Amino acid sequence: MAPQVVAFRLFLVVTAVIVAVFLWVAWSTRQSVPTIDLHKAYALRRRFFYALGTILLFGMVLTFPHMPYPPGDHPPERIVFVVAKQFAFGISDRPLLNDQDWEAATYAEPVQIPVGQLVEFRVTSFDVNHGFAVFNPEGELLGQTQAMPGYVNRLRMRFDRPGRYDIFCLELCGMGHHRMRGVILVVPAGGGPQAAAAAQPR
Amino acid sequence: MNAAAMTSFALPEEQRKKLVRLTLLWMTTMMVLFPLLASLGYFMRLYQAQWINGIRPEWFYAVLTLHGLGMVGTWFVGAMAAVSYLLARYVQPSLFVSRLAFVGTVAGVGLLIAATLGGLFGTGWYFLYPLPFYSQGVWPGWATGCFFGSLAVLGVAWLLWSVDLLAAIARRYRLSHALAWHVLRGESEPSIPPLVLIVTVSLIALVSGLVAGVIVLALFGAEWLVRGFANDALLMKNLIFFFGHIVVNITMYLGVAVVYEALPQFAGRPWKTSRVVAVAWNAVLLLVILAYFHHLYMDFAQPLALQQVGQISSYLISVPAAVVSIFGGLALIYRAPMRWTLASALLFFGLMGWAIGGAAAVIDSTVAVNFRFHNTLWVPAHFHSYYLMGVVLMLLGFAHNLGVELAGRAESALVRGGILGLLFIGGYGSLWMFYWAGAHSIPRRYAIYPNELSRGTHDAAIAVIFISLVLLAALVYLWDTGRRYLQALRT
Repeated sequence: MAPQVVAFRLFLVVTAVIVAVFLWVAWSTRQSVPTIDLHKAYALRRRFFYALGTILLFGMVLTFPHMPYPPGDHPPERIVFVVAKQFAFGISDRPLLNDQDWEAATYAEPVQIPVGQLVEFRVTSFDVNHGFAVFNPEGELLGQTQAMPGYVNRLRMRFDRPGRYDIFCLELCGMGHHRMRGVILVVPAGGGPQAAAAAQPR
Repeated sequence: MNAAAMTSFALPEEQRKKLVRLTLLWMTTMMVLFPLLASLGYFMRLYQAQWINGIRPEWFYAVLTLHGLGMVGTWFVGAMAAVSYLLARYVQPSLFVSRLAFVGTVAGVGLLIAATLGGLFGTGWYFLYPLPFYSQGVWPGWATGCFFGSLAVLGVAWLLWSVDLLAAIARRYRLSHALAWHVLRGESEPSIPPLVLIVTVSLIALVSGLVAGVIVLALFGAEWLVRGFANDALLMKNLIFFFGHIVVNITMYLGVAVVYEALPQFAGRPWKTSRVVAVAWNAVLLLVILAYFHHLYMDFAQPLALQQVGQISSYLISVPAAVVSIFGGLALIYRAPMRWTLASALLFFGLMGWAIGGAAAVIDSTVAVNFRFHNTLWVPAHFHSYYLMGVVLMLLGFAHNLGVELAGRAESALVRGGILGLLFIGGYGSLWMFYWAGAHSIPRRYAIYPNELSRGTHDAAIAVIFISLVLLAALVYLWDTGRRYLQALRT
């Protein structure tokens, strides 16, 4: 199950609890008392504090190891260079050093990445901030980083099945933001023309 | 005007009357801008649904910018005006500065409208560097000038207003008392109302945010005017998000301050500054400043330690909000002899919207989750939760109660039920469409969705229906509250 769906379901559960508690408290005013037992309220608040603290601590322990930032001591198997510029992505196996390189890359055949290979996208921008977001063939967002002028953000991914993966810009970059896109092909391990053809389902 | 409701003011009678009129002016401005700016949101969802043809996408992004900055500004000044009014029970804020802030706000909004609707300036409300300089011929240089002029006027006006409120508090309370540090030590005197504590904490943080905003403007100005000077994109992003994060969160906290002050009047029970309340709000002062790092998770060049600080502080800041303020509000109401009115319902359920939006925000503040949610519709989902169904409800509750107090007109159960029903169905319905789309990877801020993301078009069409209900609620509310204000001004 996609992490987005897990997060969404978790949110729905928490929201249901919040709404239920608020409605219950509002309903309780039908039978009012001048004051409530403060000791009980404080005890309940203490339990709530410990419960929330435990949940948050658990959340941190569970998710900190999954931060997407690349470790410095583990080299990738493949490096792909990405330059964003209003309103296209230049994606290439070679470093893109100037506008001519970028423009050539925007017209070039899509980069092919074998299934299972640890690839590092080195993402930068030649003008404004852009977002480099990778979507799988079903339109599910797999991961992203910002493309920022003057900086190179290193995004590492490993694709588990072949197909056409769309790149969309997720940072408002001007009037053509919604049409700024790129593509990469993930091919079966082993590569070759047949593999590239297999990665073109659409 | 109902004198009984006004007896506890620290101001002389003549000043009090002027304060009431000024507050009515601020609240009327807020209530009128609400449906106007909401209609821009309606336009954007119509556009995304492809129900509007023949208008270029540039208009979508210009409207997006006006809607975002306009709403942030509207509810900020509404919250400031509300706490200024309530603070006058304890201290004496300057009416002159409040009027100056009003003039500055009107001028700033005028420039903003000129920049966006006149010049099609369309960078979004956080105008990330260096996008304002890369218009691709869409907006002219004068529009960029108007936009930054607008921010400068608003920033100066609001900074003066914030400093004046802090000065008014400082004239009556020592800073350590206003921050309730004596309560932390176990002392009960002098008694500090939660309103004073929360406003002090909020305004100190706010001043830091506005100063960051001033630095951003100066750096943009330097690059614009000095040939060869270029800013650092990551530094600018940090400064811009610090400024924006602080203004938005402080608006929320000022709304919560209104709830702390106003809800006890309906519940018939006090809400005091206990040691727990003091600890919570002093913690907020530190955590709200550190939590802004969560806006930069997807900037991998940012040092790792700052990303970790962002997640830790974003998690921690939910503790004082949930355990102290929201739990406290629930305990205050539980089995209380509650006087349910439109105002008290809005104040109470505003806390619920804050809680729901806060839960969604904590989930999104997890770096590993943000990796998938950043700049999808999950983001407007959570901030509309604690804005539209949080601070907006709180401030509408305050504004309506002001009208009831001043005019004394009885409430209609039909109107009350109608407004609440429309707001809840329309508000949570439109939020649901944001959350649902965000969970399905639909990007935010797209004028037109490509075929691969056509779910975004479909979801926008459904959202249009819900936003219509919110608009209707805003208009009925404006009619009901506005006639009370007119009656109050006539008497």
